[in-house]
Amino acid sequence: MSLLQATGITKRFGGIVALKSVAFEARAGEVHAVLGENGAGKSTFIQILSGAIAADEGSLSLRGQPFAPKNPREAERAGIAAVFQELSLVPDLTVAENIWFRREPLTWFGTVDRRELLRRTAWLLGELGLTKIAPDRAVRHLSVAERQVVEIAKALAGDPDVLILDEATSALPPQEVDWLLAIARKRADAGKLVLYISHRLAEVRRVAERMTVLRNGETVGTRTTANLSDDEIVTMMLGRRLDRLYPERRVTRTARVALQVEGLTVGHRLRGVDFSLHEGEILGVAGLQGHGQRELFLALFGATRSQGRISVWGKPTVIRDPHHALSAGVGMALLPEDRRLQGLLLSKSVRENLILAILPRIARHGLLDLRREGELVADAVRRLQVKVSSPEQLAGTLSGGNQQKVVLAKLLATQARILLFYDPTRGVDVGTKAEIFVLMRDLAAQGYAILFYSTDLPELTHLADRVAVLSYGRVAAVLEGQAIDEEAILRATLAERQAA
Amino acid sequence: MSGKWRVWRSTLLAYAGALLIFALTSLYSPGFAAPSHLRSLIVVSAFTGIVAVGQTLVIIGGGIDLSVPWVLNSAAILVTLIADGANTPLVWAVPLIVAGGALVGAVNGAGIAWAGIPPIIMTLSTNTILQGLLLVATGGSPPAMTPHVLQVMATGRAGPIPVILLIWLALAAAATLLLGRTVLGRYLYALGTARMVAEFSGVPVRQVILSAYAISGATAAFTGVLLTGYSGQAYLGMGDPYLFTSIAAVAIGGASILGGNGTYLGTIAGALVLTILTGLLPIFRLSNGALLVVYGVVILLTVSLATPAVQTMLGRLGARRS
Amino acid sequence: MRAGLRGMGPLLAPAAILLALLIVLAALRRGVFTLDELNTDAAAAMTLILVATGETIVILRGGIDLSVGGILSLATAIAATRGAAGPLEMAGWAVLILVIGAVVGMLNGALISVLELQPFLVTLATWSIVGGTALIVLPSEGGAVPGWWVDAGAGTFAGLSLAVWSLAALLLWWAWFRRTRLAASIRAAGSNERSAFLCGVALGRMNVAAYGLSGLFAALGGLFLTSQTGSGSPTVGNDFVLPAVAAVVIGGTVLSGGRGGLAGSAVGAFILTIIGNVVFVLHISSYWQPVVAGLILVLSVLATSLGELAMARRDAAL
Repeated sequence: MSLLQATGITKRFGGIVALKSVAFEARAGEVHAVLGENGAGKSTFIQILSGAIAADEGSLSLRGQPFAPKNPREAERAGIAAVFQELSLVPDLTVAENIWFRREPLTWFGTVDRRELLRRTAWLLGELGLTKIAPDRAVRHLSVAERQVVEIAKALAGDPDVLILDEATSALPPQEVDWLLAIARKRADAGKLVLYISHRLAEVRRVAERMTVLRNGETVGTRTTANLSDDEIVTMMLGRRLDRLYPERRVTRTARVALQVEGLTVGHRLRGVDFSLHEGEILGVAGLQGHGQRELFLALFGATRSQGRISVWGKPTVIRDPHHALSAGVGMALLPEDRRLQGLLLSKSVRENLILAILPRIARHGLLDLRREGELVADAVRRLQVKVSSPEQLAGTLSGGNQQKVVLAKLLATQARILLFYDPTRGVDVGTKAEIFVLMRDLAAQGYAILFYSTDLPELTHLADRVAVLSYGRVAAVLEGQAIDEEAILRATLAERQAA
Repeated sequence: MSGKWRVWRSTLLAYAGALLIFALTSLYSPGFAAPSHLRSLIVVSAFTGIVAVGQTLVIIGGGIDLSVPWVLNSAAILVTLIADGANTPLVWAVPLIVAGGALVGAVNGAGIAWAGIPPIIMTLSTNTILQGLLLVATGGSPPAMTPHVLQVMATGRAGPIPVILLIWLALAAAATLLLGRTVLGRYLYALGTARMVAEFSGVPVRQVILSAYAISGATAAFTGVLLTGYSGQAYLGMGDPYLFTSIAAVAIGGASILGGNGTYLGTIAGALVLTILTGLLPIFRLSNGALLVVYGVVILLTVSLATPAVQTMLGRLGARRS
Repeated sequence: MRAGLRGMGPLLAPAAILLALLIVLAALRRGVFTLDELNTDAAAAMTLILVATGETIVILRGGIDLSVGGILSLATAIAATRGAAGPLEMAGWAVLILVIGAVVGMLNGALISVLELQPFLVTLATWSIVGGTALIVLPSEGGAVPGWWVDAGAGTFAGLSLAVWSLAALLLWWAWFRRTRLAASIRAAGSNERSAFLCGVALGRMNVAAYGLSGLFAALGGLFLTSQTGSGSPTVGNDFVLPAVAAVVIGGTVLSGGRGGLAGSAVGAFILTIIGNVVFVLHISSYWQPVVAGLILVLSVLATSLGELAMARRDAAL
């Protein structure tokens, strides 16, 4: 018997059709996975189910009744709770205040009953086995993994009939992943419905009986998980067989050291990291979120204060700020974590974005040479095959993959030779991913030195010449050649826990 | 719709608005459009316009300069104090005072860029401190003797064109060129759109902030010098009206108060609108109070017209018609 | 409990500054730590405290309200034209004035939400509109409020002035208000508007409430002021806008929103008021008052941000 049903769901954003007449059906007592590559429409669909946005056409029904929530609150009241990829926690409120936000227990004065609030929170956290989280701590002081866990607890607080988990494990260490999957199964066994959105096939197999695949905004089909092989699932997601996602392995590394790092420290998160990056090398960085990778990349780029010694092409250098990092004397560029907040001026044109880092170079006698600007922009668009109707198109209207290409082009135009790529394929469709991987190997062949962090282990194993594994702010292991495989990386990730 | 067209649309709307009010008032009272009245309108706009050069840059860069009133006033009083009625000291006094304004602006910029103090607080503080220092220095009563040269400069004419207008035009050209065709201009737009993105793209953010506020201090000081010439004396409080008018001019001209877009041409239109509205005072026999109400309503109207919500509505209306 | 005590942290700096000023005062003058002094200082600071209360709420929301200047002026202007009113009639006018303040505020909130306009601009415009209205109602300083109104303003009850009692009532009200769901929503929206929306906060209605309260308190401030001065002024409010923002910032509330409270703003208002006393007692020109005020403002912000950095570093461990 269907608990949740969707028919003909269509959603447009400006000129882009995100969802095309999507049909969907899920039952009580199951964990139902929703799969699809980036840009397939999973997130949009989930946002509609949970009331964050409204569909343009189509209808939803819950328990057989029509269901059209105007905001997430209404959806919650109807029994659907979602844990989004973007967390909905308020940084300046405490864990307890966040979990019960808008449904706090009140005293008869109309004020929040603090004692009851804490009691309920302690009970809930206890029920869920989360005793290490302090209920009265402000969320802004929690780590990324802790926040994710609190977000999940918050969704469970209302005991929803439908729990939606959207990439909820991306920030969680393996222990917490096990915890979450166990909770999902427990709820399904108790007759509830859990929607599990993820691109991690291993997790999906462990927990979901059935799965629905979306592709290009349409439903491809719903199947029983056990009946499909990984290859078949990937084919459903991509619409074709995946021949080659990764380029051929090549040895492009030379003996020349591009970047030498000793004792790099940033606060408590990065605790003395040593490594060297060679010319022509792709050095992968692995590790769970919150273990110092972000601090490492920001410190190298000069975007955060750090201690330690850095040498660039053999010369000891103190990198003062990103402007200095990008300057000719250093030549180091960062592809940032969040392209929408750190990489692109969304309300400006592609042209203005592409040229931003090299403006001084197109100025003659103080004034900008607009013709030279046009040439450089056309070059950049061509080189990376950015799909735009014109360079004047606003960056915010591009697809995720194309946006990433624009940021890349901007950086490559600076002729920096050391590239710091932070999770470059996040939110990028598979076609663009393949292009980026080929580009990375080509750049390495041309003598660029690339430091590359990814949360996707297969990427690291297929692309990196060496992999440095970060754990609790230190380099736990450096794997090379044949030694690079997913298991080894995972093992190294957990190794430091005892030593910490 | 391309971003460029949208920027020009706000500016055009501002000019259209100015023209409309002007035309309507001239119909009601023909003397309004007389050349001499027109001239005086533009001259009065020039003062707001020149102060607003700096304010435009600062706002586009994502900040705001609340220290304009007392930088202006300090410059006005200092120039009369130093010159003491004579003309020759002006040669070195005026550049020095403008540089002093730039220095105050630089202090603002430094506090904002390096110490992370919010612009409202930093510029408010310098404004208050300058006010106090000036009051202490003058003991509450300002000197009265304005050098003759200044008066000539501020009220004189080169043929039919007032000297002040020429000065304003020159500064307007410089501002437009800076914003539209220089590296600093592009840096300002990037900074005002998203500071972090600008920083990660290699924009020397702190130096850009410093420059914008320094220029703002300089234009405010210069306006103070000119204003002394125009009114024949420097008095306490002469800078106060320019806080509101400089910000309002930028806003009416179509720039977002958050930064990232706008043009100086738009600010000019905004300054004109404000002055024309003031000109309505004697014609419609408005009280000061009524004028303030009109100012507020005009600001709300123009700013509302520029918002995306209203723009989409207008866009849909336009599409339906064609 | 822990959260409550930790919440005291940001109060340390402003409290220390206030204490320092009082000690300087006490060293040069008698009778500083007396009831009389408290009554006088409270009366002098109360108007600013009231305006700062509304401003605190709006700043917690992550916005700003410049129209309080106009509302305060209008309040005094209307009150000052009721010279001959008896208690009942005056009470009616007082209620009307409060309603006007609240309505203007709610209009601000509505414009900000519906048209998605920036708070700075909207309240700048309404400041002009309401201030202009004040000038129309009362073209020049003067007018008169009923004599008994002023008497009430100067009166004492159990040795404490009206101002002190009002302050106590205000702090009590805040102790209740900050625990309501509305206050939590306001702080949430100021902390992260997107999260607040995702959690189902009706941002529109909340903005209307927050700015409405700001307008209400500004009007209340105007009423209080007339009880002290006996007359009205169509421009007096202009001198309260930026000092109110300053008081809030000095008190430890961050301009970006989400953190802070009324206790800090009240301390900030006291600091700004007492600087005048200190300058006077040091026999230096009263013109030094704004200079000291400006310096304290900058230093307070620096202290607050340094304090935040220290806290952040301490809690950055995994």
